[in-house]
This record gives sequence, C-alpha cells and structure tokens, in this order.
Amino acid sequence: MGRLLRGALLPVLFLLFWEFAAKSGWLVYDSLSWPSAILVAGLGALRDGSLLLATWQTCQAALLGLLIGSAIGVLLGSILGLWSFMARMAGPTFDALRAIPSIALMPLFLLMMGWGLSMEASVVAYACTWPVLIATWAAVRGVEPRLLEVADVLEMQFGERLRKIVLPAAFARINVGLRIALGVALVVAVTVEIAVNPRGLGYSLVLAQQSLKADLMYAQLLWLALIGYLLNAILKTVDAPGGGARRGA
Amino acid sequence: MKRLLNLLPPLAFAGALLLIWHVATDLRLVSPVFLPTPARAFGDLAARFADGTIWEPLGATVQRMIFGWFFASLVGIALGAAIGLTPLARDLLEPTLEFVRPLPASAMIPVAILFFGLSENMAVSVIAFGSIWPVLMSSIYGFGAVRVRLQEVSALLGLSRVEFLSKIAIPSAMPDILAGMRSGLAVSLILAVVTEMQASLPGLGRDIFLAQRSFRSGELYAGLVMLGLLGVLINHGLQIAENRLLRWRPQRS
Amino acid sequence: MTLASTKADPASGASAPVAVSLRKVGVTYAMGRPVLEDISFDVREGEFLSIVGPSGCGKTTLLRMLAGLLRPTVGEALFDGQPIMAPSRERAIVFQDYTNALLPWRTVSGNVALALEKTMPVKAERDARVAQLVEKMGLSHAADRFPTQLSGGMQQRVQIARCLSQEPRIMLMDEPFGALDAMTRQTLQDELMALAAERRTTTVFITHDLEEAIYLGDRVIVLSANPGRIAQTIEVELPRPRHQLTTREDPRFLAHRHHLFGLLQGH
Repeated sequence: MGRLLRGALLPVLFLLFWEFAAKSGWLVYDSLSWPSAILVAGLGALRDGSLLLATWQTCQAALLGLLIGSAIGVLLGSILGLWSFMARMAGPTFDALRAIPSIALMPLFLLMMGWGLSMEASVVAYACTWPVLIATWAAVRGVEPRLLEVADVLEMQFGERLRKIVLPAAFARINVGLRIALGVALVVAVTVEIAVNPRGLGYSLVLAQQSLKADLMYAQLLWLALIGYLLNAILKTVDAPGGGARRGA
Repeated sequence: MKRLLNLLPPLAFAGALLLIWHVATDLRLVSPVFLPTPARAFGDLAARFADGTIWEPLGATVQRMIFGWFFASLVGIALGAAIGLTPLARDLLEPTLEFVRPLPASAMIPVAILFFGLSENMAVSVIAFGSIWPVLMSSIYGFGAVRVRLQEVSALLGLSRVEFLSKIAIPSAMPDILAGMRSGLAVSLILAVVTEMQASLPGLGRDIFLAQRSFRSGELYAGLVMLGLLGVLINHGLQIAENRLLRWRPQRS
Repeated sequence: MTLASTKADPASGASAPVAVSLRKVGVTYAMGRPVLEDISFDVREGEFLSIVGPSGCGKTTLLRMLAGLLRPTVGEALFDGQPIMAPSRERAIVFQDYTNALLPWRTVSGNVALALEKTMPVKAERDARVAQLVEKMGLSHAADRFPTQLSGGMQQRVQIARCLSQEPRIMLMDEPFGALDAMTRQTLQDELMALAAERRTTTVFITHDLEEAIYLGDRVIVLSANPGRIAQTIEVELPRPRHQLTTREDPRFLAHRHHLFGLLQGH
C-alpha cells in the first residue's frame, strides 16, 4: 500500500501543478492544455464514438498484420530451424532484410497498395515477422532430437512433422516471440497512421494536433498509453506460469 | 579456403533471390513502377555514391539518430542507476515509467510538433523518447543485479559512493547497459526515418518518401538498401565495441 | 586424555594482548529465531583460531559480525577494545564464494589493486606492491588473466592476495577452501599457515571440516546448532610447522579428531 502511494506521488503532484499553473494563467502556452480539460475532451471523444472507431481501426490493422507476420515467421523459422544448411544459406540475407526499419517500407507498400487497411497491415506484418521468425528458429533448433527421430521412423511428411511434432514441442518459446510481436504490431500500426495512413488512433492524434486541439490530443495520447499498458499487463499474466520470458530488455 | 567455401551458400542464396527479382521484373511480371530491376536499384544507389548526393541525407539521418540516442543513453543510464540502486527512487518512479513505456514513441510526434514545430529539436526529442526505453530498462536490471557480495567487498574496503559507482556498479551493469544501448540505436534509426517523413526534414527517410511520391521506384529501393546497410553496419559496429569492452566475459559457445 | 579443554589461555600467546573480544553476544534475525546465543571468547594477537560446527550453527553470521557487516542483537563485540560498528580495512574477510567476491571485469592484478587504489595513489608504487603480492600467492603467470579464466584454487588465491594487500590486523576466513578439491585444499592450507606464521596475522578461520580446523588452528571452538552456542573450546598443542602427513598421523591429532567427532555427532 505504501509503495502504491509512493508510486502515485509524482504523477499526482505533476497533474496538480499542471492544472493549477494552467488555470491560474501562470503557464500559458498553445501546446499546453490542462488535466481537467483533457479529461472532458477524452470523455467527449469516448461518448461520440470517434475514439472507439479509431481504436478499432488501429487494432484491426495490428491484428491482421500480426496474424500474417506470425504465420510467415513460424514457417520460415521452422525451415531454418529444421535444416541448419538453410540457416547458413539464408541467415545473412535475413539479417540484412531485418535491419531495414519496417517503417521505411511504408512508401513502398503505399506505392503498391495505396492508403488503407491492406497497406498498414502489410507494414505491420513485415515488422512482426522478424521476432516470430527468430524465436521460432531458436525454438525449433532446441527441439529434442529424439522427437525428430520419432518423426523419421513414422515417415512423416514435412507438414505433418511440423504440425504434430515440431510446433507443439517448440510452442512455449515461439510464444515468447509472438508476445514481442504483439507489442511491435501496435507500435507499428500507430506509427504508420501517424506518418501516412489516414485512419486509426495515430491519424486522429495528428488531426487533433493540426487543428490545435491540444486537449483532445493529450486525451488520445493517454488512451493510447492505457491500451499499451493493459496489453503489457495481459502479456505479463500470460507470461507468469510459463516463466519463459526474461526480465529486462 | 574453408572460410571461402563457407561463404558460398549464403552468397548463392542472396544471388538466387536477386535472380528471381531480376527475372520477375525483366519479364514484366511485376510493374516496374512498383519494382525496378535489381540492377536499377543498386545502380541508383551506386550513382548516388558516385556523384556524392548520398552523403548529405545520410549524414543528416545519422547525426539526428546519434544525437537522440546519445542523449537517451545518458539519461537512461543515470535514471537506471538511481532506480536500480535505491529503493526509494524505484518506488517513486517505476509505476509512472511502466505506464509511459508502452506508449508508441511515434505517438509523441504530434506532441513534439506542438512544442518544437517541424524542427530538428522535434526529431531529436522524439528519437530520444523512443530509444531511452531499452537503455533504461536494461540499466535498471543491470544496476539492480549488482552482486550483494561485491557491495560487501566495497563496504569492507571503505569505498566511497562515487568509487562504488565507478569501480563496482557501472562495470557490473555494463553488459546490460551495452545491450540496451544497442537495441536503443536500432530504435533511433527507425524514429529518425519516421520523423523525417513526418516533418520533411532532410535525410534518407524523406528521400524515400519523395521518391515514392514521384514514382521513382529505383531511388526508393536504393534508399531502402542504404537503410538496411546502415542498420547492419551499426549493429556490427556496436557488437564489436561490445566484445572489446567486455573481454572479461567467459566466451559462450 | 591429553585434551586441555575449555577456558585456558592459548599456550602460544598467553601473554599476547587481546585483539577481538566477544561478550555474551547473541544475534537474532528479524523473524525472531535466534541464530547465535551467549557467545563469549577472546582472540589474542597472532593467534590462529578455528571455529567449527554443523550447518545452521551461525558460523558465517559470527564472522560477518566480526567483519562489521552486521551488529549483535545483544552483547558486545570488541576489536581493540572498541565496539565493532562498521566494516574496516583492518579486518579483511575471505569469502567462500570467490566467484562472487572477485570483480569479473578486472584482471588478477586489477583485483588485487582494488584495495590499494586509495592508500597508494602513486601508480608505479602500487603496481610494484601488487606484483609483489601476486608473486607471493604464486599468480605471476596469471597476472593479466580474468577471474573466469582461472581455476577455483587460483581465484581463491586472488581473493587472499587482495585481503593481504589491505595489510589487515586480522584475517577473517569463511570456509575459504570449502569449494575446492582435496589436493588444492591441502596446498592452500599449507600456504595459509606459512603466511599467518610469517606475518603473525591474527586469523579467525571458519570451517565445517574437523580435520582442517585442528590442522590449522592454535585453538578450536566448536559450535552447536539451533541456536549457535559454544559447545567446547580446545587447545591444539601440535608443534609447528605442521605437515600434511606427519601432523595428521600424530596421536594427539587423532585424539582431537576423535573427541570433536563425538562432540559433533552428539548434536
């Protein structure tokens, strides 16, 4: 309880100072709203549905991209993990591709698909592929060789082997990569919206800023932080029983 | 000789991909508006190196990301030391940080624009905001994991607070700090590109964006290849620096 | 029986001044269970005192208290007649877990130098002293290596060298050889005895190994467990220098061993 109070101390002091300074006219600045106005703007956006619509659009693109990216990542990661020859051959190329910031591909996908969901989801998919690929690769390499021998003895085909032996055995560690990818998906979706795509939470943030509605902008920012925080909290609870994820970076 | 042979398969794979790319574009399976031939993409990049027009945007991007990253690293390490070493700072700051951390750094761009306009300061502040998290989180972990035994040794030898920091805590947390800084630099490259696109600041990101708008796909791909190269170079450079600084670590197989 | 038991002064230093004195010391941890109870003994200057006992008898707690890393809940712990309040360079401690107690990012020389950086600010002077200590502990060939590249015995030598560099008035050793193999252990026992004899450094040596306690000590204090109390104190009147073979075959050594074994079994 004491820890909770101490944790709340600085934010509360900050908000009180902000509110007081702005209201008393001591701090006047176009880019500064004040906490109570931000709260009002946020509630308004919630009530008229615009905030929820934007949230839905962002989540839609993030989840679609995550789905596609994870599928590609699991597939490629399994191939690299199962055949070390493939890993040696394709590893450096993948390293180079991975180094391209996913956001830099935005113009490319924009060129191919124009504005909208598919372009945004594609960028997200590209970004999500890598953490899943790396995790799957490591996980599959770590699968007990005995199990693969069983698959040999049973004369399983590649698909069957993947479905019945490899993926179940490697699931826990692939899961870690999927969770990282989920975080990446949200970040990339919002970024694409801020930079080019006229939809979702990122775009409404830019819109609020451009129309100088600072209160609405901060409200959306807070909402976004809240979503990220909840996502993180959910991931942590999923994390706990497995105990697979490490602390830190 | 053996090393050369080992290089062969990866080169063959990259070559095969390029070949597929070439054939697909040469036979007009994909419109050249979307995808130029590899020869044109790499040719454009080579031309920009040859006439020297690559250096200015490249330099601008690198400078921006290094500034933001450096500032973020300084603050991140200092905050990480405070939080990792003193329970009071941890109690005061950690909940707030946990709330702000999941916020996509790019969402700070509109805020930064309100404060700084479409300026260099805006870009650097956004880059710093984004790339501080890996450094901060791993510094907190690293400083929090300084061995109790070494704290005792420091007390027994009568080391001062400053000596404890410089001789025990910082070297002990160094592997975590460096790993965090490496992830931070990758983030800063991404944010440098995003801010350039958003605020139309000179740099590789803006060049790519402009190439797309005017349908010059050769230049677009040249820019992408350049970014990829930059990312690989930075990562390798830091890895080498890391291995040099952490010579004492037992070699992992 | 040739055992002179309990409170007689050590024959070796009956006239030597008292370095450390514990008076009715007890330590209780936060949960209320006493770890040590009613511990009283003196350590004379130049004496080699072994403390032996089963796990859970509070040996390590006792040593940490002498180092100043924790304070007694009741009673008094005195060093030079002054209460021990905090760690001091005059009381060096050698930990059992050498891997944790050395700085992995410093070479052997760097680790030894750590203790000297404040007292010897001139680098050339310090380097010479470090080299001297490193050579004394037989580490010259490894001076530029990192701890992770050394064997356990070598790492423990580094820790001892670092403690020697403090020029301590008293060496506190917490099962320093407990994690080493038998051969290394014997070699280090003999080196330690030679060092202690040469420098006449007061030493408090903790171990769970009966033979080690007798072989090294002028006196052995036996602790019983839960809570830790002094079960008995015995004088070891074996001649020095001692020898791994002949001393351990000496009838007096065997008699001590027999006696202490029975004592510890009783608990």
